[in-house]
Amino acid sequence: MSTTSAVTRTVLRAEGFSCPSCVAKIEKRVGQIDGVARVKVHFASARIEIDHAPSVPVDDLVAAVAKAGYVAAPVTF
Amino acid sequence: MSGVLIVLALLADRLLVSSLPGDVAMVAAAVVAGAPIAVKAVNALRASVIGIDLLVAVASIGAIAIGEFWEAAAVTFLFAVGHALETATLNKTRSALAALVAVAPDGAVVLRDGVQVEVPAGQVGTGETVLVKNGAKVPVDGVVIGGTGALDEASITGESIPVEKSAGDQVFAGTVSRGGFLRVRATGVGSDTTLARIIHRVEEAQDAKAETQLFMDRFSAWYTPAIMVLALVAGVISGDIVLGLTLLVIGCPGALVISIPVSIVAGIGRAAKDGILIKGGEYLETSARISAVAVDKTGTLTRGRPQLTDVVVLDPGLDRAQVLTWAARGEAGSEHPLARTILDAATADGLGVQGLPEHTEPFPGKGITATAEGHRILIGNLALLEQFGIADTEAAARTAEELSQAGRTPMIVAVDDRVVGVVAVADEIRRDAARMVAELHAAGVRKVVMLTGDARLVAEAVGTATGVDEVRAGLLPEDKLEAILELQREGHTVAMVGDGVNDAPALATADIGVAMGAAGSAVAVETADIALMGDNLLRLPEAISLARRTVANMRQNITIAVTTVAFLLLGVLLGGVTMAIGMLVHEVSVLVVIVNAMRLLRARKYRSDDPGASARIRPPADRSVPQAA
Repeated sequence: MSTTSAVTRTVLRAEGFSCPSCVAKIEKRVGQIDGVARVKVHFASARIEIDHAPSVPVDDLVAAVAKAGYVAAPVTF
Repeated sequence: MSGVLIVLALLADRLLVSSLPGDVAMVAAAVVAGAPIAVKAVNALRASVIGIDLLVAVASIGAIAIGEFWEAAAVTFLFAVGHALETATLNKTRSALAALVAVAPDGAVVLRDGVQVEVPAGQVGTGETVLVKNGAKVPVDGVVIGGTGALDEASITGESIPVEKSAGDQVFAGTVSRGGFLRVRATGVGSDTTLARIIHRVEEAQDAKAETQLFMDRFSAWYTPAIMVLALVAGVISGDIVLGLTLLVIGCPGALVISIPVSIVAGIGRAAKDGILIKGGEYLETSARISAVAVDKTGTLTRGRPQLTDVVVLDPGLDRAQVLTWAARGEAGSEHPLARTILDAATADGLGVQGLPEHTEPFPGKGITATAEGHRILIGNLALLEQFGIADTEAAARTAEELSQAGRTPMIVAVDDRVVGVVAVADEIRRDAARMVAELHAAGVRKVVMLTGDARLVAEAVGTATGVDEVRAGLLPEDKLEAILELQREGHTVAMVGDGVNDAPALATADIGVAMGAAGSAVAVETADIALMGDNLLRLPEAISLARRTVANMRQNITIAVTTVAFLLLGVLLGGVTMAIGMLVHEVSVLVVIVNAMRLLRARKYRSDDPGASARIRPPADRSVPQAA
């Protein structure tokens, strides 16, 4: 995780994407959170890259992905 | 499911006077197979992509509207089969990453203010001191600042033999301690470790691969709108709705939709019978163009299991059997991985050792001492002999040096105060390795390169024995990847053969990743595009030639299908080809395509001459691989 002055990048790993339409769903859900600047979902490797203000708790991001119907967890490695 | 319904429908048509039940079953079949396709088509449209899905969906609805139930069912069913493969490939990709992530360490023991604290691996600060105990995973990249120990670095370097570490040595996150106790200063934590970089490389490579468009997508992007416009224009101009729909249905390329999957399924099926798992059609296509092969050494060219290679007798009063017996006695109580090798060799020579020594003490980084039958046995390197004040080690030093030069791992054996001999182990080269290299050259591969994390001396020894064109030694995973990229820059289509976690980035980056299934780690098997089961190297050249035949077959099928559709469309427009005739010709072309693909399934003369073929074949779970007899 690299931290710059105002933006933190968090990478989540999700399990079980099945169709490209879930990409849009997750990007929309997570993008609605206040303080999230950018969401990029990698379909093949099931990664979700999120740039957000440090004030946004990672748990909220995980919860937003869960609302879209997918289980995700932050990665260390 | 949809297939079952089609069969039911055909039976109903045969057995019943009324065609209604058959028609109902056909429509049901079309709906079952077609619903997912329709959903895909709608999703694609939302993303403003006009795909072949759309054509199939519209055409089958149209076909049902004008009462051509069989065609609707057939097209949707064949199409569903074509898609099933893609999905399977994608799921495999995911489990590869899951396996890689499983290698990652969870927790770390950190010294803070002199107290040992357990923290998550990602929360160690750079510069902090981490303790690595026997059996634990190293949680960070770092430098040893105290203690000694042996680390199993297979996950990073692929070396099969644990590496002795002492102060000043570099260690990697994800490697496992096999003995000793290390104090490590963290230099890289979390995403700043070699392991994390491996994982990212694999992820990136797989994302990049997923974005490559398949032939069908490229083709349908212009074909679908073209047919739709044609059908619409024809329908409007002639004022004949049936004509428009006929064009739509006939233009729906039944034979084309199956021409690629059916060749691929036949090719993949043929390969599976021979113990070659190919994970998708695009890999077959690429395999047909392979011009350079990079091969990992450990577990691929070699067995990945150390074998006793030498017993050098240095005490004139003893013979080979006695030296080996002393070595076996000394190692009987050791948990060092090489102990097993020595004991097995002794047993094989009928020198089985009874019981355990009274006392065994390991000296990590040096060797072990044991007390057996009143004698003190030392097995290890010169440092161990020095520690116990053994004199007259010159011959032992010279012998050990010679064995190292030959790419082996020497261990000096001393009993009481005398050096009695040196035993050496090395990873055994597979018997068919040299032949595989020769056959690859024969199959049109211009360059075979060996890549290994192992030391140059060991690598050169194996390289010479197998006849590869080039040897690159002492590589970290990223160097292997770089070597692959370099070959690609030279214009080669590169296949990489490997078996370890450390090969994963290179496997993912190569145009075709090939995993040695029987010896390979789950990560390698999952990351690879082709997995060779049953430990037979000669399968690789075979896979390449099969790929060439499959691709040729596919091209023939596409040609047949496209030509048929072109003629039919022409026929419809010029009049004279009705829906019924069109359908008949369609079915015939589908049959021709299927029969053509079946030619791939014909067994070629099968050669099995792998004397070392392992009986313990471990196909990846969740698959049953027909084992080649």
